[in-house]
Amino acid sequence: MVGDWIQVVTGSLFWEYRNILVRGLIINFYVFFLAGVLAVGMGLVACLARLSPLRALRWCGTFYAELFRNTPEYVLLVWVHFVPPLVLTLLLHTRINFSPLFSAVVALGLASSGYFTETFRAGILSIPRGHIEAARSTGLSSLLTFRWVILPQAVRKMLPESLNQFISLLKSTTLVSLISVPDLMYQVSMITQEQMRPMPLYSGAAIAYFVIILSLSALVGKFSEGWRAVGRA
Amino acid sequence: MRILQRIIWNNRGEFLEGLLVTGQISLIAIAVAMAVGLMICLIRMYCRPLRCLAILYIEFCRSTPIYVQLMWVNYVWPELFGWPQSFFAAGWAALALQSSGYLAETFRSGIEGVVRGQREAALSTGLSPYLTMRWVILPQAVLMMTPSLMNQFLVVVKSSCLVSVIAVPDLMYRGLRLTSIWFEPIEILSFTAFLYVAIVFALSAAIKWYSDRVRSRYA
Repeated sequence: MVGDWIQVVTGSLFWEYRNILVRGLIINFYVFFLAGVLAVGMGLVACLARLSPLRALRWCGTFYAELFRNTPEYVLLVWVHFVPPLVLTLLLHTRINFSPLFSAVVALGLASSGYFTETFRAGILSIPRGHIEAARSTGLSSLLTFRWVILPQAVRKMLPESLNQFISLLKSTTLVSLISVPDLMYQVSMITQEQMRPMPLYSGAAIAYFVIILSLSALVGKFSEGWRAVGRA
Repeated sequence: MRILQRIIWNNRGEFLEGLLVTGQISLIAIAVAMAVGLMICLIRMYCRPLRCLAILYIEFCRSTPIYVQLMWVNYVWPELFGWPQSFFAAGWAALALQSSGYLAETFRSGIEGVVRGQREAALSTGLSPYLTMRWVILPQAVLMMTPSLMNQFLVVVKSSCLVSVIAVPDLMYRGLRLTSIWFEPIEILSFTAFLYVAIVFALSAAIKWYSDRVRSRYA
């Protein structure tokens, strides 16, 4: 037992497999990046739908955001990986399979786009109406008002929240190992099965994620503080 | 429709049992998390020598993904501490571990959120520190914390589907098992997902209703 602890502290077993593990971590970040792009894109679309003057569109946006905010990520991941390919296969009469990476990106992207929708909406709604009316009455078109009056202020307001959303997204990328995307957790479980010694590697993985995510969120905290100070000035 | 009846309705017992396990594990997890979180919060606030450790604990719980914690608790804890011996215990322990970190911070912000003057006023009217805590600070703090506490419960319910990975027979586990028995993933998985969405949505609507009411009444 003490020997195991020493192994964790010195990371000897961890060090032996560093190449595989780092490759896994890179896949984590790759999924994170792609899913993040999808989430921001879909979040923007749904947010605009929620703010549109058409009631049907607003309703669709709300439904979209609520649906994906209320689905557990793992459930969505499994659903996306197994159900849509089968439906498409039945409809098109050709065999369709989603690669694990594709399902992972789609599921995680959709899941976090629900949160982004709300963040964006709150940011845009926080702009006082007077600003918009003032801009319109000085003769700016609605596009120019959006570009030069609403957006700069809204972005500043939603940035801290969005960055926190990104950190949650990074945390949920660990789930992709469950549909056999070869990320860090997947490698860890594979090596563990080979070696029959779960203790050092799982502890190592936990510590690695802890260090990475803690430093990222510290960075985000510092950054948002500065950003808020700029906003006040 | 026939297929729905054949697969979903005839297996309603399975789904109900799964729901029961999901509810059970979430409730145990949130109860343990509240107890541990409160303890950690008090240590962090009032016990100077152990403060560093409490902060480390909180940060560890908050910045490790739940899936990693689950695996860690399930595979490493039995070797380290000789506990948990069952998957069910590992499941709620991991869920509680994650939430206790968040709840410790919630409790702290609740207690610190009570205006300083109140504490001073209570002490100067002659209430002991314990009575001040019990009758002045806690009632206000609890009121302020309830919405975020309930939100944490929602998070626990949402992440409880992960315990199916370590073979705890919750709703997700039953869904996956039925899928592999009947091989009808479209109906079964969609229905499972629908159940989760419905539960989480109902819970979050209830929480929103409750916190709006509290806010309009007391703020």
